[in-house]
Amino acid sequence: MAQAIPVVTVASPTVGGQTYREAYLSQPVIMSRASFGDLRAIGTLDLEGLTLERGELSTGGYGEGFVDRRHPHAYVHELLVGDEARFSSRGAFSIFAGRGFAPFGSDDPMVRPFEKYPINHHLAQVLERVVAVAAVRYGPVIGEFGTFNGDEPLGPGAAPNFKRFGDSWSSRVTVLPAVGVELSGSFASVSSPEERLGHGLDQRKTSLVARYLVPAAGWSRYAFAEYAHTDDRNQGATVTTLSSMLVEAGVCRNGSTLAFRIERTDRPEEETLLDPFRTPRPETDLHNLGVSRWHAYTAAFSAPAIRSSWGSARPFAELELLRPRAGTPAGIFSAAGRYGSDHLYMASVGVRLSAGMPHDRMGRYGAALPAASSGMHDMGDMPMHHMDEPSHGGGSSCF
Amino acid sequence: MLLGFSKRAAFLLAVGLAACGETGARAPSTPPDTTTVAPVSLAALGVGIDSSRYTAELAVRGSLAYTTTWGARTFGGVLNLGNRVSIWDVSGATPALVDSLIVPSASTLGDVAVTDDGAYLVVASEYSGGSIFVYSLANPRKPAFVSRFNNADTDHGVHTAEVGRVNGTLYAFLSIDPQNGDPARIVIVDLSNPASPREVFTKVVGTPFVHDTYVRDGVLFLALWNDGIQIWDIGGGGKGGTPASPVVLGSLATVGGEAHNVWWYHDATGAKRYAFVGQEGPGTVGSSSSGDIHVVDVSNFAKPLEVAFYHVDGAGTHNFSVDEKNGILYAAYYNAGVQALNVTGNLGSCRGDQQNIALVDGLAITRCDLRLMGRQVAYGLVAQTPRAYVWGAQYLSGSLYASDMLNGIWKLQALK
Repeated sequence: MAQAIPVVTVASPTVGGQTYREAYLSQPVIMSRASFGDLRAIGTLDLEGLTLERGELSTGGYGEGFVDRRHPHAYVHELLVGDEARFSSRGAFSIFAGRGFAPFGSDDPMVRPFEKYPINHHLAQVLERVVAVAAVRYGPVIGEFGTFNGDEPLGPGAAPNFKRFGDSWSSRVTVLPAVGVELSGSFASVSSPEERLGHGLDQRKTSLVARYLVPAAGWSRYAFAEYAHTDDRNQGATVTTLSSMLVEAGVCRNGSTLAFRIERTDRPEEETLLDPFRTPRPETDLHNLGVSRWHAYTAAFSAPAIRSSWGSARPFAELELLRPRAGTPAGIFSAAGRYGSDHLYMASVGVRLSAGMPHDRMGRYGAALPAASSGMHDMGDMPMHHMDEPSHGGGSSCF
Repeated sequence: MLLGFSKRAAFLLAVGLAACGETGARAPSTPPDTTTVAPVSLAALGVGIDSSRYTAELAVRGSLAYTTTWGARTFGGVLNLGNRVSIWDVSGATPALVDSLIVPSASTLGDVAVTDDGAYLVVASEYSGGSIFVYSLANPRKPAFVSRFNNADTDHGVHTAEVGRVNGTLYAFLSIDPQNGDPARIVIVDLSNPASPREVFTKVVGTPFVHDTYVRDGVLFLALWNDGIQIWDIGGGGKGGTPASPVVLGSLATVGGEAHNVWWYHDATGAKRYAFVGQEGPGTVGSSSSGDIHVVDVSNFAKPLEVAFYHVDGAGTHNFSVDEKNGILYAAYYNAGVQALNVTGNLGSCRGDQQNIALVDGLAITRCDLRLMGRQVAYGLVAQTPRAYVWGAQYLSGSLYASDMLNGIWKLQALK
């Protein structure tokens, strides 16, 4: 499967009180799955390093040396090999290893209904690590444990620090109480994510997620709620706390989707470089400039897909209002100082282009994929993420 | 404003008492009796305000002070980078801005130094394109650009640039930032021809940072973060080292790591027993900080030993200056302003109730707590309006100058 999103974004005001209008090819990815006997392989090639080198305008976004722009992801977004086996009629076990997601938090925003990532990306997911993930599913309960390297990618083409494999771990428990309902809680201990060589601040992360997806031939409904919390720690003591609460909801009928997102997320503020959208990587010490608290309100509309023999094209528009405030501690952050205002807007229009069979979830492997999700390919009208291809019978073409 | 008689008397009493009863022991032992005397407040004489940028380091010589700037700050709707050096006339009570210069291609100027002969000003620049800029002080009120030194080794950013003379030759010691997976390093530059600086040595050091160095008598001290400190012979250590070929004399992992800066103290008697090490822990610019002062007995370079420390709740130290004649260490302490410690006599000898046991690499060491020993003798720029966040301090000729990230440069009455 391949996808790409040509998108035009206007951010006004953003850094320096300026209005920026930029166009990109966002999220150009090629996803593949393969089997070799009992082994299964999962791969996602992300080409944002070629198309988003300066980062994508994303007011409020941060991480990996970018601020108010979303950083390009690693070329090797996922590349894992593993095996899954059933041990009873209700149970399965899997082990996957490679580069990908740690079992923590929620799905990659790439497979959710909005083009713009939420601000909490670095609080709510741990990705692009060298991971080994074991998962057990028994009936409606899934347990996962993974170990990985704590260091975040340095850039799209940078290799992980393999020497640090195993210095971090995470675990997630998921319960599926009813069809379409998914509840999960997870914890992660991440060693020095921002200092590749180690000796930076460590993180303790927790996440609670509720996900609801009711497919139907007529109306489809989607809801998602998330709480994510990260403690930055130094020598065992918490020095900064960051939290996020996020709710997404959407409805879809006949391929038209209307979705909303409300988010309240804390962002650590960092010194910037000559380019005010960039920060030193790593920081040169353990200070920050304070914490900002962001309230973001996003509305997205997607039109029915235009289909052809090569795939589909699905136009969309998004509008986002962001209101940054001083967080705790405020430090020297000032919304008026950085943006000239505390009412910030972003508007985006674009087209989701896709061809082939998309991944329905991103961030879970093997037995960790909820049955309702992993079985979706055989479930007729049941919609799935980006299931907008006529070729595979996804009649709802929604989320 | 001069200190009141009673405050001076209290201070002198504290100094005198602290100096008594030295045992010469390297580890805490039988106590010299010290009497805790309430520290006095250092009188702030005046402040040279700079609200347009965040102020960083300072260098004072004669009646002039040079301050650098850091980060980005919006003032009057304009985003100003930390690319300016301000020149202040500090002959009066209130520093007065007389001129400034803009350093090209810089977003932060974390360090500034004046050469020992007063002839040159050396400024360190971060980030990409990291360099040192050398200015002539032929007219000290109007520094004139002489040269810029940058190469692949410095390009990630020069965090600090200390200058010092080794066997008659002027050198700069550059602490280079780690960036994008490249580790931190030190670069030593020959400044014998300031118009054409020349790198003579570089080495990867620091875990993960090297923030500062201290050079004196041909010995170089490096603050190597979680590696603690390392001591190099570069011409005065008796092991054949040179700036181009240093020889490691010794090292020490200080308690808690995060070793940021060093001052090798030569006291009024000529003793060179202690080095003071600043620890820079996490903090939030403008409001909080962390990290202690560590006292290291370096009487044997091969076996340095941490013997004492100073801690302030809710605050951490940054750069130092020592009035060596009077034995007063002035430490910039960010949100705790400036802290002044009596460092005369034996710092590693204290009563049992003044001791603290800490673990380093699994080994327990016993240290003296300078606060419990009554060694804090003064403080300044604390709990005041405007709120201060002090980056650097420099003692000079009876005055104390403090660079305040939020406000500019302060002049205070130093202890006598």
